[in-house]
This record gives sequence, C-alpha cells and structure tokens, in this order.
Amino acid sequence: MTDRQTSPAKSGLTRRRVLQGGAALAGGIAGLPFINRIARAQGAALKFWQFYAPGGDVKPQVKWFEDMVAGWNASHDVKVELEYVTNSEYMNGSKLSTAFASGEGPDIFIISPGDFLRYYNGGVLADLTPYIDDVAKADFPESVIANRMVDGKIYGVPMEVEPMAFYYSVKAFEEAGLNENDVPKTWDELLEVAKKLTTPNRYGVLFETTPGYYQNFTWYPFLWQGGGEFQGKDGKSAFDSPATVQALKLWQDAIKSGAAPRQVLSGGFDIVANLGAGYCAMQNVGVWGISAMDNNAKNMPYGIFKLPTPANGKYVTVGGGWAFVANAKGKNPEAAARFCAWALASKDQDSIQRVVDWCTVAKSDMPPRNSALAAGGAAFTNGKMGVFSKEVHPGTRAEPRVPPEVYKIISDAIQAAQLGGADPQQTATAASQQLDAFLASYSGAPIL
Amino acid sequence: MGRSDMTYPSTTLASTTAKDRPVISRRNRRDWLAGYLFVLPDALGLLVFVGLPMLLALGIGFFEVDGFGSYKFVAFKNYARMWHDPLFWSALRVTVLYAVMLVPALYVSGLGLALLVQRGGRFATVIRAMFFAPQMVSLVVVALVWQILLVEKVGAIGRLAAAIGWGPVSFLGDPNLALITLVAVSVWFMMGFYMLIFLGGLQDIPGEYYEAAKIDGAGPVTSFWYITLPLLRPTSFFVLLVSIVMAAAGGQVFDLIYVMTNGGPVNATAALIVYIYKQAFQLGAFGYASAMASLLVVMLMLVTLLLFALTRGGRFDHD
Repeated sequence: MTDRQTSPAKSGLTRRRVLQGGAALAGGIAGLPFINRIARAQGAALKFWQFYAPGGDVKPQVKWFEDMVAGWNASHDVKVELEYVTNSEYMNGSKLSTAFASGEGPDIFIISPGDFLRYYNGGVLADLTPYIDDVAKADFPESVIANRMVDGKIYGVPMEVEPMAFYYSVKAFEEAGLNENDVPKTWDELLEVAKKLTTPNRYGVLFETTPGYYQNFTWYPFLWQGGGEFQGKDGKSAFDSPATVQALKLWQDAIKSGAAPRQVLSGGFDIVANLGAGYCAMQNVGVWGISAMDNNAKNMPYGIFKLPTPANGKYVTVGGGWAFVANAKGKNPEAAARFCAWALASKDQDSIQRVVDWCTVAKSDMPPRNSALAAGGAAFTNGKMGVFSKEVHPGTRAEPRVPPEVYKIISDAIQAAQLGGADPQQTATAASQQLDAFLASYSGAPIL
Repeated sequence: MGRSDMTYPSTTLASTTAKDRPVISRRNRRDWLAGYLFVLPDALGLLVFVGLPMLLALGIGFFEVDGFGSYKFVAFKNYARMWHDPLFWSALRVTVLYAVMLVPALYVSGLGLALLVQRGGRFATVIRAMFFAPQMVSLVVVALVWQILLVEKVGAIGRLAAAIGWGPVSFLGDPNLALITLVAVSVWFMMGFYMLIFLGGLQDIPGEYYEAAKIDGAGPVTSFWYITLPLLRPTSFFVLLVSIVMAAAGGQVFDLIYVMTNGGPVNATAALIVYIYKQAFQLGAFGYASAMASLLVVMLMLVTLLLFALTRGGRFDHD
C-alpha cells in the first residue's frame, strides 16, 4: 500500500468534504420539522384525536363519530379527519402530552374537566364563544358548562354528563335475604348492607382503589355531601375539615371492615369486570354502566340507587363527561372551533339530535343540553335511564377542574387513608398544608 | 495477535522514519473499515436515540417546562425541589428496595436454573424453553394475567392464600405486600433470560477442570465454589450490571408497575422511573422530570463504576 493509494485527498474523502456532508445532513435533519409544518399547514385535514373512532370496538360509537365527520366534510371546505388513540394511551399515556410538547398537537381533541386547567393554562384551548349562538349557549345548564368557561368565554363543548351512582346485583341481594327496599340511604346503612353482602367469594361494595384522576372523581361527592370543599372562597385550602375526614374515613372503614376490596378488576369504572363478574355486590359507577351491562352482561339482573348520604349531609353526586376542544395553536384554530360548535353546540336540530344519539344510541349518558333532554323524551325517562334522570341526575355537581398538582395532593390523601390506613384527620391536615403551599403560588385560571 | 502488534514496532514513534514505519496492508485496512461499518449503525442509533436525548434531558432539567412550548430558565431549582419533595425520596427508596430484592433474586434464580438444565437429558430443551417462555409474551399481557391471578377472593393465588388460612389477602392492594409481589412477578418473568446468559457462561468452562477437581476429591459444592463461580466472573459482572440498570430504569419494570399497580397503593410501588413518567406526562412537569431522569442516569453511572471497581470489570484474577 502506498501513500498515494491511502491518501484521503485522492480517494475523494477530504476533511472539508466530510464537514460539508455533515453540515448538509444536520441541516436537512434540522429542517425536516419546518418542512413538515409547512406541508401540514397547506390544505391538510384537521386532525381530531379521541378514543372512539375509527378504531374503537363499540360500533354505535364509531358510527356516531364517522357520521358526524362525514356530515361536516360534506358541507365544509376544511375537512376533518378522525384519529383514534386507545383509551389507556389517551388518558394515562404520553401521546397527547408529547404531541403538544413538540408543537404537533391535534387540531381538535376531547378533554375531561380534570385536564381542563392544564390545557387552558398552557394556552392551547381556542375560544369557542364567537361560534356558538346565544340560544345554544343558554341551552347548556350552568352546572354543565361552568367548568369549561373562563371569564365568560367557552373553551370546551361538553358531549355528555356522566353522574355517579351505585349499581347492585339483584341476585346477591336475594342471596343475602335483601330486596330493593333495603338499598342503603345513608353511609352507615351502606357499610351495614355491604357487610351482609360480603361472602368468602365476593365483596359487598366496591370503590375505586387505583390511584388516578378517576379515583379522585369518584371520591368528590363523598367530600361534598358533608359540606366539604378543597378550596375556600378566600382562595385558601378548605381541605382540613370534618367533611374531608368523614369522607376519607368512609372509604377506609369499608376496607377495614372487609366489605370492600383493596384491588379492583380491570378498573373501578369497569362494571362488567367487577359487578358483572360477581366480584362485588354493589359498585360505585357512572351512568355509562347501563350500556356496558346491557351490551356485555345482558342476563344479569341489576338495580341502581343514588349515592347514600352521611348523617346531617345532603345528596350530591358528581357529573363527569368529556368535551370537544379546539387547539389554539393548531393549523386552523378558527375552523376547528367552528367544527366543535357545529357538532355539539348549534341551535340546529341536527346538532341537538347528535347529542341525543350520543347519549342514548352510542352510550348511556345524560345529555349536556336541555333541548337534547327534551328531544330524547322516553329514552331518558324510561327504565334504568329513568332512574338516573329522575333520582340521580338532579343532584349532579360538575366535576371540579383542578391543576395537576392539586389532583396529586388529593389523590395521595385518598390513597393514604383508604389503603395505607393513615389517620383521616392527620391525612386531611397534611394535605391541606400542601394545598395551601401550592395555592399561594398558583396563577392560572380559577379552580372550580 | 492484536492489531497493534502488527502495525507498530517496538521502537518509539518519534524515532521511526516514514521508511521504517510498517505499512497497513490493503486487507487489514478493509478489515478495519468493515469493523467500523458494522459498529456504525449501532453507534449512530445510540447517539441519536440515547446520547442526544440524555443531553437534551440534562439541559431541560434546568428549565421550567409546561409542555406547551414555554421554557423558563430556573438554573438548579428543579434539583433543589427534589430535596424537598417527599415523593421523590419515597420513589428513590422504592427503587433501591426493588433493586436490592430483585438483583440477588435474579442472580440466584438465573444461575440455579442454568445449573439445573445444563446437564442435558431428555427434557432439557423443553425445560429450557418453558423457563424462557414468559419472555416471549408481551409484558402487558403478563402483568394483566398476574393481576387477575393475584386478586383477592377470586384470583387463583388469592384463593390459594385463603385456603391455607392466610385469609383474604391483597397482594397488590396492601402497601406492605405490593412491592415484594412485583419483585416475585419480575423474577418469574426475567429469570429465563438470565438462565440463558448463565448457560452460555457455564458452557465456556472447560470440562477438564471439573474432572481434575473430581480426581482430587472435590465434591459438587467445592467444584461450584472453586471452579464454577470464579470462572463465571465475566458473566456474573454482566448479569449484575444489566439487572441493576434494568431494576432502576428498565422499560420492563416500568410496564409491570404501570399495568399492575400504577404506582399504588399509597405510592408503595411508585419507583423513580414511574414517578418521573407521572411528573412528565400526567402532571406536565417536564423540567422536573428531566432533572430527576438526569440524576438517575448519574446514579446509575456511579453504581456501574463502583461495580467495575469491585469486580475489575468482571476480569479474572490472572488478567
């Protein structure tokens, strides 16, 4: 081998060329996102992320979404395209977070009240108010729309209201010598009946045990029923109260008495895996449980009763539910906002009927609009849905919107008392101090 | 013969002239190039998907990041926050406990299984395949199946516990049992993988050593202590290193915890990697999460260095 043969200069690989090539490659890689964004902005359809369609396995829900988008696309220049994200990935995964963190968030997406402040404070929720008619605005009850509003402006259009109640197995009641007249009306009765229903193979009552937004959501009504709040009118923590202590104690007592499990099957929201499978005799679940049981446990007789109340307490339940929102930093925020308003908040009959169909055909939910409740007629007043509309729903309070930090403090308090056996009073006091420390430095939209 | 032996004479470079300098043959040069080309894809992959994200995470750790495009430089505030965050210390404690229980358990079970199946025999292949089988299944599926098996009152193991008089016991719902239960499931899932690694190590030990020891009157236990274990040192080093890193920051651990307990009950299984994930993707504190991730990397590097120092990188005493 000679110098001539091995010289990089002669073989064409000079240091300069290597550097030039490297720079070109780096430039190309760095420029890709920019080119991608230009391409994205030019005439591409608006992306609508959710966990129902087109990949969902509940056909009526898939059809509802597809029909809605087809209806919009047939009459508008800016098209909308559905993008399915699995339920677990959407709610607890990183897909949505990473998309927004990289500036690639969807144009339209759905959020629950628990996530509202995170997205609003992040500046990515578009104001939908200009596109919603005043008549339609008035059609949303205050308790449903308030937690999607800031300074009188609407940032999310609710698609459903999902109040919580108790479901019970008729067979389990009969085996224990109980009947529908024995459904508990107070917390004491709830624990007493739960003990009677407990057997070596079954728990009497089931509350959610997995830490997360859903567990907090299901615990709030027990806090409210005794007059408790996590924030007072002065903006400071109100968590250190007798109402908080008794709500924490109720869930703790249920576990300590052996009438409630420490672990749920699939998730506390899954009525078929728990009540339907005979794991428990009573389960704290929302209105969606009706369609879940009708579709997957058709032959199992069950009943529904509203949440029992503490001594000297008042009946309240919590109403969750998701809402359509538009990305203020998306490629066409105005069109995205128009779509949200057109789909669920227009005064047109199609929009009202769409809400009715979602709450009766695709799911079993209470409608977020008065006109939809009227238009649904018997679908909302007969059978199991009738129990919700007449007995459960009238006491519905909107799911609170809290910053993630507040959620975590409350979640840790629930877990400590429920599964850790911590003293409820000490737990409430410690959590309240943490809340005060956070609230003193919080500067986002009001917590409701 | 190593490459250095072929290319450089024993004289110093300063004293060699161009004429004296040995010329790299065309074939050697091609071998050298081929070697680097083989390594290149992996090196690039590591750089792009591991090295750069680590550097970015280190940088983001000095910012307050809301996840919607806002970056505010806060210097060491995120690191100071860790000091005052009881959940960070709880997560660190869970991680250390998990590793302290898991690493020895994997070592013993992996080596034990390897010793069990190395002798061959009629069903050796089938038994090896059985122990390795869990590795072929998605960890999410494994976690879900174990979750059902362990559930109180209705799960098979839950029922067994009740049958032997343990009462309704909640393996995943009791803060005192949840972590050790996860360790047990982790061992069950991973021991087949470590069995294979130990099998490779055992097969490298020449049979003559055992024969000589036998002639000298050594029994199986003596042979194990004085031949097997010392000659498995490189394998042991690899197993310890990989299992420590996996226990502290492995994706498998994250999947298992995330599906089976989601960090509960009462944060009893919220290992640092789970806490980092939740801070980033559920609470939106990307800066704080990045700072914790960077610290975890530094801690793992220190553990690795310590392990290198203690075992001399798994080399034999005569090396």
